[in-house]
Amino acid sequence: MSGEAPAPSLSLRGLVKRYGRRRALDGVDLELEGAQLVGVVGPDGAGKTTLLRSVAGLLEVEAERAYVLGIDLRGDVGPLKARLGYVPQVWSLQRELSVFENLAFTARLHRLGSEELERRAEGLLERTGLAPFRTRAAGALSGGMKQKLAVANALLPEPELLVLDEPTAGVDVVARGEIWELLAERRRSTLILISTSYLEEAAACERLVYLDGGRVVANETPEALRAGAGLELYRVWGDRPRTLAAAARALPFVASARAAGGSARVEVPRDASPGEAAARAALAALPGALLAEALPVDMESVLLSLARASGEARA
Amino acid sequence: MSGIMLRAEGLTRRFGEFTAVDRLDLEVERGTLFAFLGANGSGKSTTIRMLIGLLVPTAGRIEVDGVDVIRHPRRVRERIGYMGQKVSLYTGLTLLENVEFYGGLYGLERARLRARWEAVRERFALRESEGERPEDLPAGIRQRAGLALATLHEPRVLFLDEPTAGVDVHSRGLFWERIQEETDAGVTVFVTTHFLEETDYCDRVSFIEAGRLVADATPAELRARFSDGYRVRCALAPEKLAAALPVLRAAGFAVEAGPPESAELVLRRPSLEGEALEALRRTLGADAGLRIEPSSMNEVFRRLIQEAGAARREAA
Repeated sequence: MSGEAPAPSLSLRGLVKRYGRRRALDGVDLELEGAQLVGVVGPDGAGKTTLLRSVAGLLEVEAERAYVLGIDLRGDVGPLKARLGYVPQVWSLQRELSVFENLAFTARLHRLGSEELERRAEGLLERTGLAPFRTRAAGALSGGMKQKLAVANALLPEPELLVLDEPTAGVDVVARGEIWELLAERRRSTLILISTSYLEEAAACERLVYLDGGRVVANETPEALRAGAGLELYRVWGDRPRTLAAAARALPFVASARAAGGSARVEVPRDASPGEAAARAALAALPGALLAEALPVDMESVLLSLARASGEARA
Repeated sequence: MSGIMLRAEGLTRRFGEFTAVDRLDLEVERGTLFAFLGANGSGKSTTIRMLIGLLVPTAGRIEVDGVDVIRHPRRVRERIGYMGQKVSLYTGLTLLENVEFYGGLYGLERARLRARWEAVRERFALRESEGERPEDLPAGIRQRAGLALATLHEPRVLFLDEPTAGVDVHSRGLFWERIQEETDAGVTVFVTTHFLEETDYCDRVSFIEAGRLVADATPAELRARFSDGYRVRCALAPEKLAAALPVLRAAGFAVEAGPPESAELVLRRPSLEGEALEALRRTLGADAGLRIEPSSMNEVFRRLIQEAGAARREAA
């Protein structure tokens, strides 16, 4: 074994998932190695859920190559299920069982001893703020608490791979923060695949896999995506941001503009830009403008330029 | 006509033992873009269903555009446009057939419907899609079409329940541009969202938790109250510094020097509007290389939720 590179945790080539005549996944190529926090992003209908379910061994797939933790997705995926945690978009808990009983149920499936269960459960309940609700029925928890329990439940067996399908959708920002803290603790020991439509969550991932039309369009670190974004971002400040946004939209090099806070956020495609100084000057000269600044490219612009590039590539 | 488009007083809805909405008071001024936020299960959707006359409250009063919603739910319907989380387009019908169907529901005459659709179709860039069926359209276009249909009868108030859920970021941005245009045209917009950064696109933001309203303010007020406000980084030539500092301080900025001997300054202020922007412009120039860093709305709502929770525990 010594001297050999570790086998990739995930190796997919030409992965296809058909539903009748429709291809939800249309040739996914994706290699991921080692423990890291990977965000799966892309427009609605891009195939995110199908990809995550395939990786979790829940779907029959076609592929040239489809290995997850060294296990072939086209064969017996039983051994994979013992090594992964999966949180689906829909309810995944036992409604009538209490918070602790849900964890105990998972522990039994994974043959964890009762001492080990107690030790792990205590830590997870403490960090999710669920400790005071140990005996409450899962069905009676609030939306945020349910999702925290679902994630804690998936983490309990300390899986090598964690697959989470929009675990924070519709959850309040405090509970979302707690879920992310749990994930951050595991990112050094676990390969985590998480889909999200929250921009700040995408920005917090170590790597982003952008899907569109059932294919992987980009697989990069957020920094690399930022550097490659084909957009410049500006902000114009003034007392009437909406009027400013409308005036900015009329400039020939502006792709879109809208009022945000006390300013207008203005997006300029790099290939249309007159250069930063000239763009800033033109924006500062708009009627009612007090200040214009150039902004670093943010996650919204990154995803926007990926969507645009992917749309152009298909057209 | 008062300046209030929507007023709810003591709005309450119980389902058996469970109180979903608890003595809620709301006021929305005409022509504002009003965000109504809350996590899943906070009572948000129940409130909207009552406001548009789909669900009868257990107690309380609602008035929309001067009409009592509980007594005259039908009379309210012609004044409001509604778009739900699942866009209500009929599959199997083309978009144009949907338009004709909705036009009939709203009682629009043929000529007026045609004129309206032509205008709306251009604004929402739907000309190329009007022959398509909704199920064949991408989510972003479907969403735009949903908004177009909700505005067909020129409602005075639009209720949009999570219009940007499940829509990619590109379509989300364009969608907000259209919503802001509606508001500029005088329409009152009542909108819910899970994306907290989108509250900055709105004039006023309210937050419901466990059936009760815990915040109702402008984004600027929320930022000033529940965050560190704004940080401005800028550079000033040493010879300009002496003249600039009193101006900035007089405008309410707390000034911190950057590293010694450097020209960098860090300015802080809870809010950033007219007077403060003027002071920046006068001292730094309109297009100076400054960097304004507003606290994120996530930070704002994290603090707001924590403070609301603490207040509730104290009361209990």
